[in-house]
Amino acid sequence: MAGATASLAGATASLAGSARRGPPAISWRRRIVDNAWWGLCWVGLLAVVGVVVWILAGVASRAFSDWKWSVLWTQSTGTGGGLANTIAGTFVILVGVAILAGAVGIGAGVYLAETARPGPVTTFLRSASEVLSGVPSIVFGYVGYITLVIGLHWGYSLLAALIVLSLLVVPYVAKATELSLGQVPLAYREGGEALGMTKTYRLRRVVMPSAIPGIATGLIVALAISVGETAPLIYTASFTNAYPSIHLLHQPVSYLTYAAYTFFDEPSRAAQQLSADAALLLVALVLILIVLARVIVRLTQKYSPERGAGSGSFSERRAARRAQAGAD
Amino acid sequence: MQDQHGTDTLVLNGRRPVDGQPVMAARDLALGFGSTTVMRDITVDFPRGSITALVGPSGSGKTTFLRSLNRMNDKVRGFWNRGTITLEGQDVHGDIDPLVLRRRVGMVFQRPNPFPMSIQDNIVSGVRAHRMARRSDFRDIAETRLAEVGLWSAVADRLGDSPFRLSGGQQQLLCLARALAVEPEVLLLDEPTSSLDPRSTEAVEELLRRLTPGLTVIIVTHNLAQAKRLSDDMIFFYEGRLVETGKTAQMFDSPERSETARYLLGEADPVSHR
Repeated sequence: MAGATASLAGATASLAGSARRGPPAISWRRRIVDNAWWGLCWVGLLAVVGVVVWILAGVASRAFSDWKWSVLWTQSTGTGGGLANTIAGTFVILVGVAILAGAVGIGAGVYLAETARPGPVTTFLRSASEVLSGVPSIVFGYVGYITLVIGLHWGYSLLAALIVLSLLVVPYVAKATELSLGQVPLAYREGGEALGMTKTYRLRRVVMPSAIPGIATGLIVALAISVGETAPLIYTASFTNAYPSIHLLHQPVSYLTYAAYTFFDEPSRAAQQLSADAALLLVALVLILIVLARVIVRLTQKYSPERGAGSGSFSERRAARRAQAGAD
Repeated sequence: MQDQHGTDTLVLNGRRPVDGQPVMAARDLALGFGSTTVMRDITVDFPRGSITALVGPSGSGKTTFLRSLNRMNDKVRGFWNRGTITLEGQDVHGDIDPLVLRRRVGMVFQRPNPFPMSIQDNIVSGVRAHRMARRSDFRDIAETRLAEVGLWSAVADRLGDSPFRLSGGQQQLLCLARALAVEPEVLLLDEPTSSLDPRSTEAVEELLRRLTPGLTVIIVTHNLAQAKRLSDDMIFFYEGRLVETGKTAQMFDSPERSETARYLLGEADPVSHR
């Protein structure tokens, strides 16, 4: 590569007809413009990284200033105690949204990518999904409160919370599914078709596996969003000091964001500490979800073309590259 | 479904000894997309057990024709066809289920397209989809087919590996093995060696020669030398029409039509000098 660049530069120099060695000098104006753009890139990067570090440091320092492991296994008592019930509630909501939004969102995405024929209906469905993703979460909460909690007499309940949160994130999952299916090479589909596979079989065995990373990432981003939501949950799940029960209706559910949001400006020092602890646990949960997404991608893409020539150790990859270069 | 496949296999294995009757044939075939007619008035027979080369300049419609033989154009928007295509005398558009048709008339593409699954799973993917064998037989099937295409020694100890670690030529041989595993009667190839190096090309050609006359091969190629050394019969397409068809050697020696002669001599546009 380096050799190719050097010879190319040499060719340019000889073309210019000068006896000068090496590439021609770059004008000072180009240098300044070049450096200015790079500077802007660095500023942008620092802005993003800086904010992340700032948030993490702020949350961690508040929580660790008086961290007690007992918050993990103590129930909350109004404005004190621990966070055990809110952690359990958050996990129950997480699993519920994964099932509900996962099923509906992936199904919708598969339909839009594989089955839907281009036309007014599909266009309407797609734009409806986009509108849905633009609705503020508190509107979802309010509508859920009016229709489910009050209208259907469900009361503050897990099911109402799950439905509202799932509606909120389904568009993300559907879009991610549709996009990743759209990126599966036509060659896979045609290969399956040419072997006489049915459409369903082809989708399940040949097309879906290579779309999994995109779908999993979309679903996990959706889960991270729903873990971080407060407004729709206050309207539909309310709050309780109890652990989540098996009842889907008439039982309020507790969750971490409530603790982080409500205890923050309570007068009691214990409540404020719980708020900081809840914030730390939320951040940790989101980080775990992101790592989980990476692990899923890693585990399912053993056979992807990108990893074909290069899976394995660095030296193995280098050997493969050399072999490739030799073959060419 | 099982029974139906069972009878198909019987017909295949018995090879229905009607010598002289072509395996596939087209009658007054016209193909197009929307208001465009890509091919018209195609009437041709594909002799049993031979290698037929489809040649002609780019845009002559030979790939469209090839893809319509196993109905791969069906899902292309606006595609239409008139006339008939038959497989063993049966109309491919009426008498045969398209999925069964594609099992009986396999296809290999211009660029190798292994599936993102292990080498063994690639080979048995069609077998699996058509439930042609038990799971416990998959490894043996993979070995047989890989040996058939001459890949076995190269991949014997890495059947569980990704196929994308193989070279381009090996990947194409793998795709051939995958197509052969469902025991097709006819194999369609769309410029199967155009992305391969000369040695891999030779391996593919050698394999195709070995597979006939047990199998009927129809191959689109831009490489006239390949058509000459590989095929028994040849069909020359030009601007959506079948210009000439016959034995390959004879067509190279004494083409009947001036367009054919010019194309085979290597002129880009056979009729512009009229």
